[in-house]
Amino acid sequence: MDVGQVEAMLRQEGQRRAAGNTQAFLARHAPFNKMAPAALQLFAEKAHIAFYPAGSLIVGPDSGNVRFFYLIESGKVQARQAGEVTVTEYSILSLGAGESFPIGAVTAGRPSTNIYTAVEDTFCYHLPAEDYLTLMSTSPEFNLFCTQYIASLLDQSRRQLQAQFAQKASEQQTLNSPLSGIGARNPTSVLPETPLRAALESMSQLGIGSMVVADAEQKPVGIFTRSDLLDRVVLADLPLNSPISQAMSASPFTLNEHATAYDAMLAMATHGIRHVLVTDHAGRLSGVVSERDLFALQRVGLRQIRQAIESAPNVEALKASAADVRQLSFNMLAQGIGAEQLTQFISALNDALTRRVIQLNLENHDFSGIDWCWLAFGSEGRDEQTFSTDQDNGIVYTVPEGEDKEALKQRFLAFALDTNKDLDKVGFPLCKGNIMASNPQWCLTLDEWRAQFSKWIRTPEPVALLNATIFFDFRPLYGKSELSDSMRRHLLSQASATPIFLQAMARNALEVGPPLGKIRDFATDLEPDHPGKIDLKKYGSRIFVDVARIYALAAGVHGTNTIQRLKLSAQKMNIKGEEINAVLDGLNFIQLLRLQHQYLEGEPGRQGDNLIDPEKLNELDRRILKESFRQARKIQSRLKLDYQVNH
Amino acid sequence: MFGIKKFLFGDGLNENLPPDVKSAVSAWLAQEATGLESSHFLTRYVVVDIASDGMNPDSDRLTGIAATVVHQGIVSPEQSIYVDLTTADETVQARQLAAFLNFIVKSPLVSYHVAFVSAFLENLLKKRLGISFSARWVDLAWLLPAMFGEKSHKPMPLDDWLVAFGLDVGEGRRSPSENNMILARLLQMLVVRAHAKGVDSVEALIEESKASSHLRRTR
Repeated sequence: MDVGQVEAMLRQEGQRRAAGNTQAFLARHAPFNKMAPAALQLFAEKAHIAFYPAGSLIVGPDSGNVRFFYLIESGKVQARQAGEVTVTEYSILSLGAGESFPIGAVTAGRPSTNIYTAVEDTFCYHLPAEDYLTLMSTSPEFNLFCTQYIASLLDQSRRQLQAQFAQKASEQQTLNSPLSGIGARNPTSVLPETPLRAALESMSQLGIGSMVVADAEQKPVGIFTRSDLLDRVVLADLPLNSPISQAMSASPFTLNEHATAYDAMLAMATHGIRHVLVTDHAGRLSGVVSERDLFALQRVGLRQIRQAIESAPNVEALKASAADVRQLSFNMLAQGIGAEQLTQFISALNDALTRRVIQLNLENHDFSGIDWCWLAFGSEGRDEQTFSTDQDNGIVYTVPEGEDKEALKQRFLAFALDTNKDLDKVGFPLCKGNIMASNPQWCLTLDEWRAQFSKWIRTPEPVALLNATIFFDFRPLYGKSELSDSMRRHLLSQASATPIFLQAMARNALEVGPPLGKIRDFATDLEPDHPGKIDLKKYGSRIFVDVARIYALAAGVHGTNTIQRLKLSAQKMNIKGEEINAVLDGLNFIQLLRLQHQYLEGEPGRQGDNLIDPEKLNELDRRILKESFRQARKIQSRLKLDYQVNH
Repeated sequence: MFGIKKFLFGDGLNENLPPDVKSAVSAWLAQEATGLESSHFLTRYVVVDIASDGMNPDSDRLTGIAATVVHQGIVSPEQSIYVDLTTADETVQARQLAAFLNFIVKSPLVSYHVAFVSAFLENLLKKRLGISFSARWVDLAWLLPAMFGEKSHKPMPLDDWLVAFGLDVGEGRRSPSENNMILARLLQMLVVRAHAKGVDSVEALIEESKASSHLRRTR
């Protein structure tokens, strides 16, 4: 080997060694930490490192076709949308260590549409475009990251969330739980020589259906059940002063307390028994597991809950079902069901609960011969209920000829009051703003509702606009849905014909923006009472909901669900599919975080809030949340353009 | 031709060297500092760090040399070299050192505590190749306090500078190659500051480095 060849070898070694730092950095950041070593080696060997002092331009539309994939090692970079002066205010975002840009432009080999500037002294990796493309085609993880920027992040986060929930779910009882935690502990037992009468008396006093017979050392020797009473005492003419040992089933089936619920279930099925005695390490009686105890473990299932709700004899029974709904939704969250499906699912079961409460109350209030409909408003009206949602409801009815309107209204109000109270008992708290059917204001005839809607649309003053955000999201829950359809047609024809109203709604919707900081990631000082926290409803999901409502009203979309509204109005207004999907992903992530927060951090019995501390999120969630807020800002700036809102 | 002349008229090039090594070293000796050096951006800087089995250049052995290029504001692992001197015999070492010279050309060299690094290099190059190695050295240890007086106006250990700049470089001992990547980042920051202070060419930087060393040593 001559000097030239040796140099080539030494350079190779130098390159490999110099890549070490970069690899260590990559190993700390998604998606690189998931990538294969060979892919990381490629990145680390090919990427240059550049320094950008605070204030300097990194890349912009005038830099020509983007030649590098930029990854921030340290410092802060600000991205501003170029051109379109009207939207700049909404399009500043800041990026930090581990974040990369401009993924779209480098993939397409076109100039960046954003201007990227270092706001602090910043070190950036530059991966040349050709190596970036090689990496895209060789590393599935990197490919996923780039092509489905948000979607892949969402997915990773969901998986993380799932792991968190799975842990909590596993703490709950399943068929894998040991018997030491199931059924009755330290059950009552009697000695074999105890007279039958004494044993039967204590069974009666304790209200139990079976009695364990154990010897002086507490080792079980038999079990005596009610069916034994019939067969072996009454029909066999056994005197009640005989010892219980003559009537019991001897050598009962026992399992050690470390056996699982599944073992007990198998034993019951195999031996045709209804009780399994549980013993401790010394063989002493420590518990009894009945068939019913095992059934309770499996009780929480969708079909069972539905059946239980629909056949519930009273409000008390519904209360238990409401707890089951909560448990089941939690289990579904643990299984990785997305926010969209989950909120719709919660809504569906809550609908069933509400309908049953209405049915039960109709037993005391008769409205036969009258057309009426129970309406849901707000989040319930949009099928977007989270775990803690208070009541928002109303009634629409028509007055049959010859009927006294006032008297009929009083009957509806009385019925509504009972229903509202029962709903509260079942777990839907009374509405603080009194948006309930028992409020005379919201128990109206069809004509009154129509007039009310027209009035709000014609004179969009603040109260009218606020009401519009609640009442225009209505949905029929029980009764004659034609009445609700008629209200909807009226609303849509009026709203779409009154641009000034939609413009006022748009202005209102733009008053609150997503809490993105210009330098820091999040603005957490918006709520003076909760410093350091972000209200995910007020500054998150509500933004999407408000924009969706306006577009739905403008485009004549009948649905009330935000995702539906956005999808359908996007079609009508020629918004690109991928653009709207990114927006929906953003909304879904915020909703998922809300559900997570309400369930994992909410105390039982207390209404969960929507306040999260972004510092407490993991890095990935924080980044996705930021991205989701950017989507919120994106649809807001679109709304701003479409309705020419200038603050 | 020029190279042979140098060889004949005595830079003391070892006579036992294989021909390819001889010609490579002669070529290096004959080279002038070419390339554009009118600004830091255009100057090809080579950051150098070494590994040795002790602290004394006269008695301890050099075990490795790492070098990385900083050019047009960019540090690139692709423009790096590593010479492993732990196992190679003398002829192999000579060829490796010739390759090292090929790589650095006559570019200005950058290091932290140049006196230490250059003494090791000079000793080994003298021993293996027979040449008196001299280069234009930029010493970050003296330049950093001159350029970033707001952080420290005296020389400090490298790790203290890293802390002062908030550079996250991980834990533990760094290899010379890894250390170079860090020195390269410091150089990137330094030339931006130097330019702002009107110290905008490599000569000016070396002057500044010498002045700083003189000023801070004698005080």
